[in-house]
Formats: sequence, C-alpha cells, structure tokens
Amino acid sequence: MKTFMSLLKITLNVHFGISALKYRFTKEKKRLWEPILIILSIIIGGGAILTLYSLLLLGVFMGGQTIGHPEIVLTFAFMATQLLVLIFGIFYIMSAFYFSNDLNILIPLPLKPAEVLGVKFIIILISEYLVALPMLLPAFIIYGIGTWADIFYWLKGLILVLMSPVFPLVIAAIFAILLMRFVNIRKSKDLMVVVGSLLGLFAGLGINILTQSLPQGNEEEFIKNLIMSNTGLIEAIGNRFPPSIWATLALSSSGWQGLGYFLLFVGFSIVLLAILLWLGNAFFYKGYLSGEEIRGKAKALSAEDVEKGASKASSPVIALFKREWKLFMRTPIYVMNGLAGMIMVPFFIILPFATKSEDMEVVTSLAKDPKYALIALFVSLGLMLFASSMNLISCTSISREGRTFWISKIIPASPRDQILAKLLHSSCLSLVALIIIALPLYFLLGILLYRLIIIVFIGFLVNVLINIVGLIVDLLRPKLEWNDPQEAIKQNLNAFLAMIISLIIMLIIGGVSILLLIKGVSEFFIYGILTLIVIVLLVPSYYGLLALANKKYNSLEI
Amino acid sequence: MIKITNLSKSYNKGLVKAVDDLTLHVKPGEIFGFLGPNGAGKTTTIKMMVGLLTPDQGSISIAGIDILKNPVEAKQNIGYVPDNPDVYERLTGMEYLNFMADVYKVPAKERKERISNLLDMFNLTHAVGDLIKSYSHGMKQKIVLTGALLHNPAVWILDEPMVGLDPKSSHLLKEFMRKHCDQGNTVFFSTHVLEVAERLCDRIGIINNGKLIAMGTMDELRHRDQAHSLENIFLELTEI
Repeated sequence: MKTFMSLLKITLNVHFGISALKYRFTKEKKRLWEPILIILSIIIGGGAILTLYSLLLLGVFMGGQTIGHPEIVLTFAFMATQLLVLIFGIFYIMSAFYFSNDLNILIPLPLKPAEVLGVKFIIILISEYLVALPMLLPAFIIYGIGTWADIFYWLKGLILVLMSPVFPLVIAAIFAILLMRFVNIRKSKDLMVVVGSLLGLFAGLGINILTQSLPQGNEEEFIKNLIMSNTGLIEAIGNRFPPSIWATLALSSSGWQGLGYFLLFVGFSIVLLAILLWLGNAFFYKGYLSGEEIRGKAKALSAEDVEKGASKASSPVIALFKREWKLFMRTPIYVMNGLAGMIMVPFFIILPFATKSEDMEVVTSLAKDPKYALIALFVSLGLMLFASSMNLISCTSISREGRTFWISKIIPASPRDQILAKLLHSSCLSLVALIIIALPLYFLLGILLYRLIIIVFIGFLVNVLINIVGLIVDLLRPKLEWNDPQEAIKQNLNAFLAMIISLIIMLIIGGVSILLLIKGVSEFFIYGILTLIVIVLLVPSYYGLLALANKKYNSLEI
Repeated sequence: MIKITNLSKSYNKGLVKAVDDLTLHVKPGEIFGFLGPNGAGKTTTIKMMVGLLTPDQGSISIAGIDILKNPVEAKQNIGYVPDNPDVYERLTGMEYLNFMADVYKVPAKERKERISNLLDMFNLTHAVGDLIKSYSHGMKQKIVLTGALLHNPAVWILDEPMVGLDPKSSHLLKEFMRKHCDQGNTVFFSTHVLEVAERLCDRIGIINNGKLIAMGTMDELRHRDQAHSLENIFLELTEI
C-alpha cells in the first residue's frame, strides 16, 4: 500500500505538472499571467455552456414533473455522463495504458502490474471528473432542490456522483486490456489518433444536427414532447445500461429501497474494479510487451538507391518547406487538428441546411436571385474566413519543432528563410482549404465563377495575414517542451491567442463589407477596398514578422 | 580556428553561473578535448559556440567569423552533434540527410559521394530508407553525425560523440577526427572518457563550476600537476 501511495503521488505530480508549476511560479517567475488567462477563458466559455446545459436540464426536470417522473432528469444526466465517459474513456485508457512513455520506467520497478494499472486508472478517473462533474452536478442539484430532498439524498448523491465514472471506465479498461492482449494495435498508434479524431468530429456533428433541429422559440414545449415521446426510449436504454437506473432509484426512492439501490450501484462498481485489477495482473504487462517486441521490418536500400536518393538538390527555402510539409503530413494529430478542422467547419454549417431540404431551397433560390447574389457572395467569404480562423498550422509552427528545434538553430539558414518556408507551408495549406470550401459553395449557391475567384483571392490574402499573425504569436511564445505531438497542437495556448486575433481581423473585414454593402457601393469597389485594407495590414505585419524572426531565432534558447 | 574570449553565461537570473569568464583558443589542425564533471558547464559552452544559447558576455569566433554577429556564415563552417540525438522522427534517414545537404548548400555531385561514404563508414546504408523513428539510440546518433559532417565543415563541435556508438563506429569516428585535423581542420569535443581524451587530443581543457581550471597538452598537464595519468590530474583538479 505504501508503494502504491508513493507511486500515485509521483504520477499525480507528473501528470498534472505540479512540481513544474511550482518551479515556474517560485523560481522562473515567467508568464504568470498565462494560467490566469486560461482559467478566465475556461470560466467564461465553460460558464456559458454550463448555463445552457443547466437550462436544458431544468426543462427536462419540469417536463418530467408534468408526467409524474421528475427523476427522469437524473437518469438522463447519469446516462449521458456514463456513455460519454465510456466512449472517450476507451481512448484515454488506451493512451495511458499502452502508449505512454513512463511504462519503460515503471515496468522494471518491483511493482505489481495491478498497482501500476490502478494508479493509471485513478489518474484517468480524476481527469474524467472534469467532464463528469459539470454534467452530473447540475442535474443532481436541480432535482434535489426541486423535490425538497432530505440530507440522505445529498449524502448518497455526492458518493454516487463521485463513483459514476468508475463503472464505464472499468468497462473501457477491461475492453482495452483484452483487446491489447489478443490484437496488436500498438503499431498503429497513428490509426488510433485518426479514429479518435473522427469520433470526436462525428460527436460534434451529431450535437450540431440535434441543436439545429430544436424548433426556435418554444424549446420548453419541445422538450416536454420529446420526453413524453421518449420516456420509453430512455427506459429502454436504461435497461441496457442499468447502472443509470440504479443511480436514479437510489436517489429518488426513500428508505431501504433507496439504500438498496445505492449499495447495488457502489458494490457493483467495486466488484468490477476488483475484476479489472485481477485482469490487470494477468494480462496488462503481457499485452504491453507483446506490442514492444514487434519492430518494423527495415526496408533495405542498395548502394544505387542511396546514390539516386542523394542526387537531388534544392534551395534552402524549398528544403525547409519540404521538411515542414513532410513532418506535418506524417503526423496524423497535426493533420486532424490543423487541416481537418478547417475543412470540416463549413460542412458543419451546410449540413443542417442540407438535411432540411425546404430551407436549402429557400437559401439557394435567394442566392441565385441577382438582388441577393452579392450578399450570398460575402456570406460565403465570411464562411471561408471563419473556417480559416480555425487554422492551427501557423500558430503552432515553431512549437511543433519541439526538441528538434536545435536543428533550426544550428543550420546556416537565415531566420528569414526559415520563417518564409513556414509561411509558405501554412499558406499553401490555407489555399487548399479555401478551394475545398469554395467548391460546395459554388455548386450549392451558384456563385458566378469570376466572383468566386475574386473572393478566393481576397480570402487567400486574409489567410496569409492570419498565418503571419499566427507565426508572430508562436515566435513570441513557442512551446518547445513536449513529449507527445498532441501537446504541441492541442494543449497550446497559442492556438487560442491566434484565433482571437484572427477573429478581430475577420470582424474588421466583415464590418467593412457590411457597411459598404448597405451603402450600396459598387461590387468592384468593395473588392478593391477589401484588398487594400488587407494589404495595408499585410505589409507591416510581414516586415514585423521578419524582424521578429531575426531577433527570436537568435534569442530563443533550447 | 576557435576563439572564445571572456565568455559568461548564467541561469535563473544570474543566480547560477554556468560559464564564468571562459577564454580559450583552438588552433587549426588541433583536436581539443573538453573535460569536466557533470554540470561543470561543458554543454552550455558548446551550445553557445554553435548558436543554441546566447552568451551574457564575451565573444566566440569560428574560423574567423563571429557567431553572434554573422551567425549564418559562422554556422556554415560548423558541424555540430548534440549529446542527445533528438531528430525528425517522421523523416527517413535519407530525407534528413538531403535536408541537411540542402541547407548547407552541398552540391549534388559532392553530396552523393559523401553520403555514400559516411553511410558506409557507419554501416547505416541498409536503414537509411526507414523512418528515423525506428532507429536505435546509436543509429540516431550516427545519422546526426552523418548529417553534421556532410558539408565537410572546417570545425567539428561534438558533445559526447562516442556515447551510444558501438566499438567499431567509435573507433572509425576517432580515426576520422584525426584525419580531419591532419588536413588542417579543427575538432572540439567534450567527453567523460578520459582514456579517449588522453590518447586522441592534442590539447585538453578542464572546466569546473564554469571556470577553465587547466589547459594544455598532456605533457604540460602532467608537468604541472606531477601526476601521471589524466585520471589523477582530473580528480585532483576537480576536487573542491
């Protein structure tokens, strides 16, 4: 138990970077404003979502009350939380159990596999609370207050809320352990990233379609109807996934019955946890090690191949560009987050229209009407620009180099060449994305070709500007210390900062366009003014970027 | 060939002096061994020499070019190998070498010959088509070494170059270093292996707590400390 606790302590420290944070605050004392900014944005962003979610739950509660089943709000929340934990838990578990770097240190230590597994499980459990608590607590509080619940409700509830992710996580872990023991997918870590990201995208798409299908104005009525018609459905799912029903009954029933269900829920979770630890002892290391033993077969090159491969020479900027391109395209997490996001955004917006054909017809007929053609055109431009602001390519460009940044520092390529190669790379990808976004707009809205070319051109100029801004942000505060590529792109505050600046640029462009459209200024004059504005912003930022690159490439230390 | 003058660098806002007023010259044709206990300031000095760290004070000139004033020109003359081979894991060995040859502007014909020779020497030809991700630590070390020497730089700066190399590669590298210096070039390397330094180096510098505490040929050092082996000299000097 002592070794378990000390392992838990050290893993918690490493995982949440507690010592690193302490060091930063007490010794280095740099960028102290950063955590404050992060917390503030989480409070603002999270607060808004939480309010909306709580309102939805309140609707469910009141709807449930009218049909005499107020506890439906609890079932709903428990079920949603546990399903979410189950789906995402599989990926968390896979990456923590089988793809994390610390196992090479932990396996040689005199620890039982179950101890290592247990510690990793607890770490994931704590991370899952970040999702589970905001999802469960509002429902728990709404029902508690709404039904004047007694002290036992609050006591039982607190334990149930804390235990709720255990059950789905154990299922996910058992699934992962058995899968890894018998199927070797360690080699395809990249594939996992793609599958995981696609799952996330589909979840986003699903939520999007769901919210789009809510009738405007009378949400409450709608929710009531939804519950009335779906009580059967919730119960049916609940029956397949009984713990959410047990949790509901444990809280909504009083006396012995409530206590019974409470004990059933808690006991069931504990028994499953024990099974997991037993399985862990038997299979965890075996599954991990069987993956380690397999190595990619070397593709041997002959002396001629070597000569052939070595014969091409390119200029430093082209060589740097090629490096940038290959490293980006070969890292799935970069492609999924950097590029796919940009391309998916317009589809997210178009799809709901496409699913409701009558809306789509109205929009397309309006767009094709010469009176509204210009408006449709600028809305399309707005859509393109919005998608471009989701661009994570330039604002993580230096961060992505990570520990290999030393190479960029020692090669005899000027900072100007290096940063130009990065700008070229991100702008090329922006252009690809712009064209991919433009095509469906062209076919759906019937925009005239010459107009489309003009807005793609303006969109591209804005994109270059956004990329320059992204590079400036990343030069100012690159994140070079990371172990997993996903930290460079997903856990990088630069992405957030660059996005905010991009949104400001878009607001300027959008504001000017709307103003000129209202004033009835001629079409080509608007293009001219927009181009002029972008160029006026572009030129100084470009030279600013080069000057900054010169300074930063020399002063950044690694 | 290498001229370091009054070089200083501190960390944690001046609290830790990593390198303290270091001055040393390395002549053409010389192999210079840079020794010192862990944390003495070897890697910090080397990192400043190649432009990875900015000195607080002092100057460094490589082949007559100031690295702080003309970094790009100075770097063209350096072949640097770090102590930890963090390289682009998602490039193949060949792609990495071509990239290095491109940025160091090695002409196509010359690069063909040099890549073949170096790969042959380090026994890497078979692996050069694979992603660097699949390489062992020693292979990564060798690919970095190959990339650093492709442009035939006048000055080699190597941070613990033998670590991770198999005996054969290590032997070949030592021979290669000697040959390079016999052609009038310079090698500056740090090491913990005192026997290697004793046998290979024309001159040796010992650094401790950021200060250069001894410098000279083996004979000069022996004479100074009345000791016979470098190990004894090292232990005596660094025992503070």
